[in-house]
Amino acid sequence: MVGQRVLVSGMGSELGSLVAALLEAEPWVGALEGIDVDPPRRRLRKAVFHRIDPADRARVVDVVTAFNPHVLIHVAVWEPDARVNTATARRLTHDAATSILGAAAECPALAHVVVRSAAEIYGRSRGALTRPDEDAPCRPTTEFGRMAAQIESTAQAVGSRIGVTVGAVRLAPVLGPHVPSPLGRLLRLPAVPFSVLADPAFAVIRDLDAATALVAAARVGLAQPVNVTAPGAITALQAIRRGRRIPLPNLGPEWGITRRLSNLVGAPVPDHVVEIMHRGRLIDGGRARSILGVSPMTATADVIDSLYAWPSVIHVTHPVAVTASAGAA
Amino acid sequence: MQSATGTGPTVDEWGRDARFIRAIAPLTHLRWDVSVGGAHHLPRGGALLVVNTRRFALTPVSTALALSEELDRPVRFVGRPDNVPFGPLLGRVGGLLAHPAEIAGALRAGELVVLGAAGTGNPRHAGAVDPALVAAAIAERVPLHVGATLSSFLSRQARVEVVGALRAGRKRRGPLAEVELAEQAQHRLQDLLDEFGGTRTGVPALGWLGEG
Repeated sequence: MVGQRVLVSGMGSELGSLVAALLEAEPWVGALEGIDVDPPRRRLRKAVFHRIDPADRARVVDVVTAFNPHVLIHVAVWEPDARVNTATARRLTHDAATSILGAAAECPALAHVVVRSAAEIYGRSRGALTRPDEDAPCRPTTEFGRMAAQIESTAQAVGSRIGVTVGAVRLAPVLGPHVPSPLGRLLRLPAVPFSVLADPAFAVIRDLDAATALVAAARVGLAQPVNVTAPGAITALQAIRRGRRIPLPNLGPEWGITRRLSNLVGAPVPDHVVEIMHRGRLIDGGRARSILGVSPMTATADVIDSLYAWPSVIHVTHPVAVTASAGAA
Repeated sequence: MQSATGTGPTVDEWGRDARFIRAIAPLTHLRWDVSVGGAHHLPRGGALLVVNTRRFALTPVSTALALSEELDRPVRFVGRPDNVPFGPLLGRVGGLLAHPAEIAGALRAGELVVLGAAGTGNPRHAGAVDPALVAAAIAERVPLHVGATLSSFLSRQARVEVVGALRAGRKRRGPLAEVELAEQAQHRLQDLLDEFGGTRTGVPALGWLGEG
């Protein structure tokens, strides 16, 4: 297995660049390339990055077929209102799935595909399981859930058509100090709305744990869906209290106004985050350790704490002299 | 950098809130004074406990709370609704949806789950046990116990008597396994209730009320 060529789509995102950084340290990875519309968020030493718009299918095909990867890790999934609005996220995710998965299918060396999916794929309709496992039916009730279902479906279709294994890593909401996340942004507001009548439990996952799971899925050749979530759970009110924010109790009808106000202050609230606030989001991640050989290390409450520990504004009290040597360092 | 966060309570992976349960304990003790017997029969890992229920009574809830105190571990119960505000509220107390996959998930995670038989008007009669829900215990290969409960809507006094795990009479490969196990659970419950005798209300003239 040594000397594998690995392609990471969505390498420019926080999660994608973290996956790339972990892959650089993997002994089985020979060559590593990535594609995204944005440049990577961290320094990568071995990886080759291609900045390509996913809609530029011809160029994507040229780059991917020239690299001829053995493994594709498809992280090019735009969570609505994380980096772009819902409509753009839907378009970019669809374009990336079509062009990158389609291009990878043309590569004779391709043996394995791992896609980044989401816990939203199960949906939270009335009567839905509180903590669905991988065997639970996928009935997405939000745009992000439908996007995840579409990606899995596209990857499975490609896999069965060309005879390669496909694994899906269904991640709980990914949070981290630097991860663009509508849930994280909402929780960091000075005053945070929550559903006073429900205040259900949800779980999240730290970005590093999510990246570790994606790398492990590529390493073991994951050929099925697997849920990955941090241990423990928390409710919105408990998270608000941990962050010492002001809780804004909402009964229901005023959520529309709350969403608009939140949008105005720079924290848009997409439907899958509203669903978390009303119905919660838990998944059964019990199989992750046996299938992937790794399990998330950071508990949900600690992920929430790290979210609040990140300073939103760093006040520089003393003037800093920038010299040529300091800049080079 | 100084952290802007504080510590605080959280819920467990099923949404059960131990702190909330401790907070409402005085209220639940005001309504129920449950004596538990035979708790040593229950394993440390996952198990399904079937109890008889009186109509309009919250027997699975009171049994789960009493067992949780007795065993000092979280105990779930089946039968929370999925609407606001009762669904989330009962979820905080350990409620699960009455769905086989939900019960199976909890049993797989090593949880002790209390399942109520169908409610009856007479507290000395055991109602039918849903085979579809019992099937979760068979699928997850965890023991099924029965617990006879006696309570009255007039009295605080209640009793739960748990017995050893049921053993299937015959090995079945198909759906008859859960049907027969559910019937066996109901019969065992009825036997236990017959051994119990009636409930005492504490008021001689109103003793018949304890009979349902």
